Amino acid sequence: MKRLLTVVAISLFCSAAGQAAGFEPRAKTPAPALQAQDLNGVPRTLADYRGKVVLLNFWASWCPPCLREMPSLERLRVNMAGRPLAIVALDSAETPEDVNAYLARMKLGFPVLLDPDGSNTQRWKVFALPTSFLLDAEGRVRYVLTGPTEWDEGEALRVIESLLAERPVQPK
Amino acid sequence: MHFFKLLMFTLWVCAFGAQAGLPDYQAFPAKGERLLLWVASERGRADPELQAARKLAAQGVEVWSLDLVNAYFLPQLPSSMDEVPRQDLVDWLRAAQASGKQVAVFAVARAAAPVLQAAAQLDPAQRRRLCVLLMYPNLYTQAEALAEPDYLDVGALSGLRVRVLQPRRSAATPWLPGLLDHLALHGASVSRVILENLREGYWARETPTEFEVAESQRMDAMLLRELNAWGCT
Repeated sequence: MKRLLTVVAISLFCSAAGQAAGFEPRAKTPAPALQAQDLNGVPRTLADYRGKVVLLNFWASWCPPCLREMPSLERLRVNMAGRPLAIVALDSAETPEDVNAYLARMKLGFPVLLDPDGSNTQRWKVFALPTSFLLDAEGRVRYVLTGPTEWDEGEALRVIESLLAERPVQPK
Repeated sequence: MHFFKLLMFTLWVCAFGAQAGLPDYQAFPAKGERLLLWVASERGRADPELQAARKLAAQGVEVWSLDLVNAYFLPQLPSSMDEVPRQDLVDWLRAAQASGKQVAVFAVARAAAPVLQAAAQLDPAQRRRLCVLLMYPNLYTQAEALAEPDYLDVGALSGLRVRVLQPRRSAATPWLPGLLDHLALHGASVSRVILENLREGYWARETPTEFEVAESQRMDAMLLRELNAWGCT
C-alpha cells in the first residue's frame, strides 16, 4: 500500500526525476475498447491495428515525463520501420489546440489520438501519466508500464521484441 | 481552599496536556473573523504557501500553517500522512473553533486524508461549522491501471462542507466525479472548482509555466475568492 501510494503520487505529480517502476506483465488481459479520433477527426479503434503488436501510450502535453520519453518513442518507430509494431499515443483529456501546440514543436511520425473528454482514460483506468500498455498481436494487454522509459533500449525493447517474436509466421 | 488549589492544578495539567497534543504550526495572526488552517502536502510546505499566508493575514484572515511531515519528522511521502496522530488534528480543529472565528481548512494532496478523518471525529455541531477546501486530494487506496479505483475510508462526514479545487492539468481530473461521489457517500456536502491551465503543486514546480508562477503569487486571492464564492464566511 505504501509503495503504491508513493508510485501514484510521484506519477501524478509528474516529477521530472520520476522513473518507471518497471513493466508489469499481465495474463493476456482482454483490452478495453479504444474509441478515439486522430488529429484529422478520423475515428480509430484497436481494430485498425489488428495483427500488430501495439504500444498504446497515454500522455499529456503538460506532463514533463511524458514529453521526455517522446523522442525515444519516435526513435523506436524509425528503428522498427517495416516490422509489425504500431505505436499509438493517446492524449489524455486535453483540447486539440493543446496537442497541436506541442506537435508543432515536436514532430512525431506515429499516430496521435485525442481523448478530450477523458473517456478512454477512464475505460483503461489510467490514474497516472504517462501510462503505457503493450498489446500482443491478438489485441490482449500483456504489459503495463506506469511512468516514463527509454523505449528504444533496455527492458522496453526486450519486452517489445518478445511480443513480436510471439507472432505466428504469416503464410506467404 | 485545598480543593480549589487542586482544581486549578488539575485544570492547568489538562490545559497543558491538550496543548501538548497540538501539532507544531506556524501562526499568522489577524484581527478578522476568519481563520484558515492551511495543511501543506506530504511534500512539505513551500515558500509560496508562506507568502500567501502572510498576504491573507494582511487582509484580515488569520492563518495557521501546518507542515505535517516537518511537524512529525516524517519522510516526504504520501504514506507518511497515515502516521499523523489523528487526535492531534482533532484537537487542533477544536482549538481553532474555540477561537470563535469562522474556521476553514485548506489541505493539499494526501494531507486531505488525515484532515477528513479528523473532521469525522468532531461532534456533528462542530463539523457543521467547518468548511474544508481540498486541493487535488489524493484519497486512493488503490489506483492501478485497468482496475477500478478504491478510496480511503474517511469516516462519517455528515454536515461537513467540502470543496475540491482541482487543477485541470492533472491525471486525476478525469477521476474527479468518482472522488466527489465517494465524499458524498460519506455524508459530505461537496462541490468542485476546476483550476484551468494549472498543474498539481503549481506553486512548487521545478519548471513552472509563466501562468503557474503568476498564480503562485495569487494564491491568497484565489483562496479568498473560493471562500467567498462558496459562502464559507
